Amino acid sequence: MSKITNVSIDSIGSSMKKIGLKQEVSSIMILLVMFTITAILQDNFFEPNSVVRNINAFAPLILLAMGQAVVIISGGLDLSAGAALSLLTCVLTYVMKQDDPITGVYAIVIAFAVAVLIGVINGIGIGYLRIPPVILTFATSYIWLGAALFIRPTPGGETVKWFKVFYDTKSAEGVPAFVKAIGSVFQPALVLVLVGCLIWYVISKTKIGRYIYAVGSSNDSAYATGINTAKVQMMACIINSVFIFLAALFFVGQNQSGDARMGDPMTLKAIAAVVVGGIALTGGRGSVYLAIVGALILSFVNKIIFFADIPNAYQTLVSGLIIIVAIAGSVAYSYINKKAVGKESK
Amino acid sequence: MDTMKNLNDMSIAQKGSLSVMIDKHKKTIVAFLLIIFLFILGEVIVSDFLSVGQVLLTIKLSSFIALFALCQMIVIAAGGGGLDLSVGFTATLTAILTAVIMDGKNENLLLAILVALAIGAAVGLANGTLVSYVKLPPLVVTMAMASIIQGIINVYTAGKSITGKPAPILQTLAAQSTGVFPNILFVLIFMAVVVMIILNKTRWGLKLFGVGTNETNAYLSGVDVKTVRMVAFVISGAVAGLIGLLLIGNMGTAFKDMGSSYVMPSIAAVVVGGVSLAGGEGNYFRVILGSIFLQTLTNLLVALGWGDAGKWLGFGIVLFVLLIAYVSDRRKR
Repeated sequence: MSKITNVSIDSIGSSMKKIGLKQEVSSIMILLVMFTITAILQDNFFEPNSVVRNINAFAPLILLAMGQAVVIISGGLDLSAGAALSLLTCVLTYVMKQDDPITGVYAIVIAFAVAVLIGVINGIGIGYLRIPPVILTFATSYIWLGAALFIRPTPGGETVKWFKVFYDTKSAEGVPAFVKAIGSVFQPALVLVLVGCLIWYVISKTKIGRYIYAVGSSNDSAYATGINTAKVQMMACIINSVFIFLAALFFVGQNQSGDARMGDPMTLKAIAAVVVGGIALTGGRGSVYLAIVGALILSFVNKIIFFADIPNAYQTLVSGLIIIVAIAGSVAYSYINKKAVGKESK
Repeated sequence: MDTMKNLNDMSIAQKGSLSVMIDKHKKTIVAFLLIIFLFILGEVIVSDFLSVGQVLLTIKLSSFIALFALCQMIVIAAGGGGLDLSVGFTATLTAILTAVIMDGKNENLLLAILVALAIGAAVGLANGTLVSYVKLPPLVVTMAMASIIQGIINVYTAGKSITGKPAPILQTLAAQSTGVFPNILFVLIFMAVVVMIILNKTRWGLKLFGVGTNETNAYLSGVDVKTVRMVAFVISGAVAGLIGLLLIGNMGTAFKDMGSSYVMPSIAAVVVGGVSLAGGEGNYFRVILGSIFLQTLTNLLVALGWGDAGKWLGFGIVLFVLLIAYVSDRRKR
């Protein structure tokens, strides 16, 4: 009798420890620490204006990181995300004419189609042709870059007046009153992130959502159970493209222009955010929502560095260092964790 | 290996020797045909494309791609999905730093070479350690390293102009010609011979290919897999550092983006050359052919007036198509 209780107490203890060792918990803990530090350093952190500014600064990375997370969980990696983002901003601003409000609708439809096409091409390469995702998306990133440079050799372009609705609803012209009313309560950037979350929530409840995890953890086993792995990988790429499309809407709303080179640094940041969030680069494990946590951690770290008042020239260097330290740290941490958890369960 | 040889012998017996020759050198022939096709296409569309001067100029320009592709080839041969996206940035960094050291004098060249080697090896060591000991994906590591080096360059050049000139020896080596042949071609041939000897005739080359072909087998036969991979990255970095010297020799001055545009072509050259991205092989001759192909393509696209957009689009599509042809794994399962 006493033996049994001992065992059960032991197992409860070890499962408590396991929870403590889980990467999700540690990611959220780090986020809380970063949040607190930022809140202390920034005097007006809780004022509405700076909250709005922070949401606007964080949203694009959150969206890209969520998309990247879907691909990484499905066992891939998308190095073309930044270039795809640039291409979409170029397409949006290329189609739109400032004086013709209806062109905005055309632009959104065409850009969405291009986004899906981007996902399909990456998906065919990764899923059906079975080319290693890293090198495949490296190749396609230059196709997107070339296409973006074709339609917009230098940064610029124009947007319809109502397109600001994706950035700052109050200052957008020609928008119905009720949209403005909603926009004054919910920040557009926040709405885009919520739309992203909703999309993933719906997908994660379907078969595809389950299959993405199955394919990511073991492609061959998933295939052997009768899953069409190629199709699942393609769906993951298309979902990623949709997230990139949402980020492109935000950027065009913000900058009112397109730039063929603007997305380049975003790729690495998004991948880093996913890793910092605690999603395994090997695929099959982690929740997509953790990418939000990772993106927020990186953004807060950037903000803290900003408060340290370093010269502008050091920005690239510091952000590069942060990314590599963050990635190496997370991977090393999860490796140590796995060992610890393994020992506990023995 | 032995079974492979036996299979080859058997196939010689079964098929004619010519078809075996073609089979064995299929990828070399494809690379050659692609180059010839481009030159003919260029001659048809743009006049004066297929002259001796033009061909030699193409070879001269492609030498730099080929040298960068050497870094890639060694890293790729080590297997594990290795690629080095930081080479172009390493070269830029050494070019900018050694320009000041050399200051246009030959006697400072030795110091400059040592500095270039040290910087390159240090970058390679950082890459290699993170890839083989921390087990991060090579592309992510080297991409982050590229942005760090770009950051260092930004810090160094902030608020002051880049000064200094290359040593005259470097200018002779990289920019001038002996007769009709550009000197850089001899550098390339020298490098090719050295590389082929190291890869095919030394123990280390054998280990490198062994690790690339089958990590587990190499480990079981006593090869230190991690160290071999790390050394591959160190070599890649050191070579990239030396290329920085040649780049500044060619250009005369150093500037911020001089090396970064070579990264994509260097990887594409390896793929065009038909070297397996899975690792375990490396034929530098084919990589050189790949570089010539890419430079010819660039020339053609520039002559057509498509500029940067056409170049990147063209490279992307060529890489994509060749990945489908060479890398795509459509095995039945």
